Amino acid sequence: MTVHVASVGMGRFGKRTEGLIDLAAEAANLALEGVGRKPIDLVVVGSMLAEGPHGREALLPRLAGRLGLESASGFRVDSSSGTGGMAFHAAVLALETGRYERALVVAAEKMTDRSTAEITKELSAALHSSEVAAGATMPGLAALVTQRYLAAHRVSLHAVDLAAVHARAMAVRNPNAQFQKAVTVEEVAASRPVALPLRLLHCSAISDGAAAVVLEKGAGPASVLGLGQGLDALRLVDREELTTFAATRSAARRAYEAAHLTRKEVEVLEVHDAFSPFLLIHLEDLGFCGPGEGAKWFEKGWVGLDGRLPVNPSGGVIGRGHPIAATGLTSIAEVALQLRGEAGAHAVARAPKVGLAQTVSGIAAHNFVTILGRSAA
Amino acid sequence: MIPEPSTLELTRCASCHLRFLPNDGPCPRCGSRDCTIYAASSMGRVLAATELQYPASGWHAPHPLALVELEDAVRVLAIEEGSLPEVGTLVRVRRDGALYRARAPTPE
Repeated sequence: MTVHVASVGMGRFGKRTEGLIDLAAEAANLALEGVGRKPIDLVVVGSMLAEGPHGREALLPRLAGRLGLESASGFRVDSSSGTGGMAFHAAVLALETGRYERALVVAAEKMTDRSTAEITKELSAALHSSEVAAGATMPGLAALVTQRYLAAHRVSLHAVDLAAVHARAMAVRNPNAQFQKAVTVEEVAASRPVALPLRLLHCSAISDGAAAVVLEKGAGPASVLGLGQGLDALRLVDREELTTFAATRSAARRAYEAAHLTRKEVEVLEVHDAFSPFLLIHLEDLGFCGPGEGAKWFEKGWVGLDGRLPVNPSGGVIGRGHPIAATGLTSIAEVALQLRGEAGAHAVARAPKVGLAQTVSGIAAHNFVTILGRSAA
Repeated sequence: MIPEPSTLELTRCASCHLRFLPNDGPCPRCGSRDCTIYAASSMGRVLAATELQYPASGWHAPHPLALVELEDAVRVLAIEEGSLPEVGTLVRVRRDGALYRARAPTPE
């Protein structure tokens, strides 16, 4: 059964005064307006940090109540930074059973009301407890992966700086992006160290925000052509390889197989660059180039709106901001906007027929690949 | 001065023969629980090292962490005790409760 993205809703990402439910409802209402408020019989919501000291439990019934959707069924999912991807996949799988007609998928996060130390601690839930006990954080482990990647493939950090510059340049065209100012390669290279070789401008920012889509049965310009997930060892030291993410490779293989497509047919890409070097690794893991060759894409400028393959025209996670759970759904929603011709100033130059979104949980322990495109009913 | 131990306890899976850092669960490759602890060399080479300017709570910045590959091809995330090592540096790893610590070996 074919399912398609019938509408998309997103508000601005960044520091927002509204609370979690307000942000989720804003995105959801935009998506519901997009389908003329047709009846919704399934609501899937995702948030990683909803619990805690702020009394945001019962996210699903609270949001459903705000939206007047108490008659729908629903469930809530959580896979840390992959939550948005998981929410989308869960809703598609539910619609494909034939049990539901139309689903609202919402993923939201409220982060800026907590200190960086609190957020760092809460995000560590996505890491292995032994890593956190040793003092590791998400950027710390990402720095080790990056250093290994650069050394193994003799890649210059300059290419990673270029990936950060690319993200911020794209974000300037996206009115919802947190960062509306481009940065130079010199500014990236001079930004303060977080965990070298990673510097501040290589790392995604704490952000508030939400994304929503309405999924319907039937075909459209943004039909779901293929879904794939992949898991990997949570503890970094247990992984067979450190310079590639097996969870992306298996997710991509499954999604390409399901879609009966190869990477050659993908015309726009939204990937999870929580850290700039991961952009290079993702290009390799998704099959667009060999190990260590991701750097070339940024050095040659093949990733712009009119490039060989536009990558993260929305600004990606670095440019948009990283409201953890919302990010994965935002990437999918951005691909849908491109396919539906609704991307506005950040539309890619050649209208794409097939796009791919990739989402990462933690340090790539559970990744999701979603391929959208036009399909026959 | 207490001599640094020359061995470190690692785990070997009897089913797929994978050697791995002790954990609370089964073999990370094949899921077998038929695993035994053995004494391996505590020497290894640094695969990557960094100083965290914002470490996990309970630690002070800068917090040096190294990813070390032991001679038995098992990797370990260790807190570096000396100056931050270059990639490829030879270090000795010791267990400290639930943690691992690494430093350049003391000259004989």
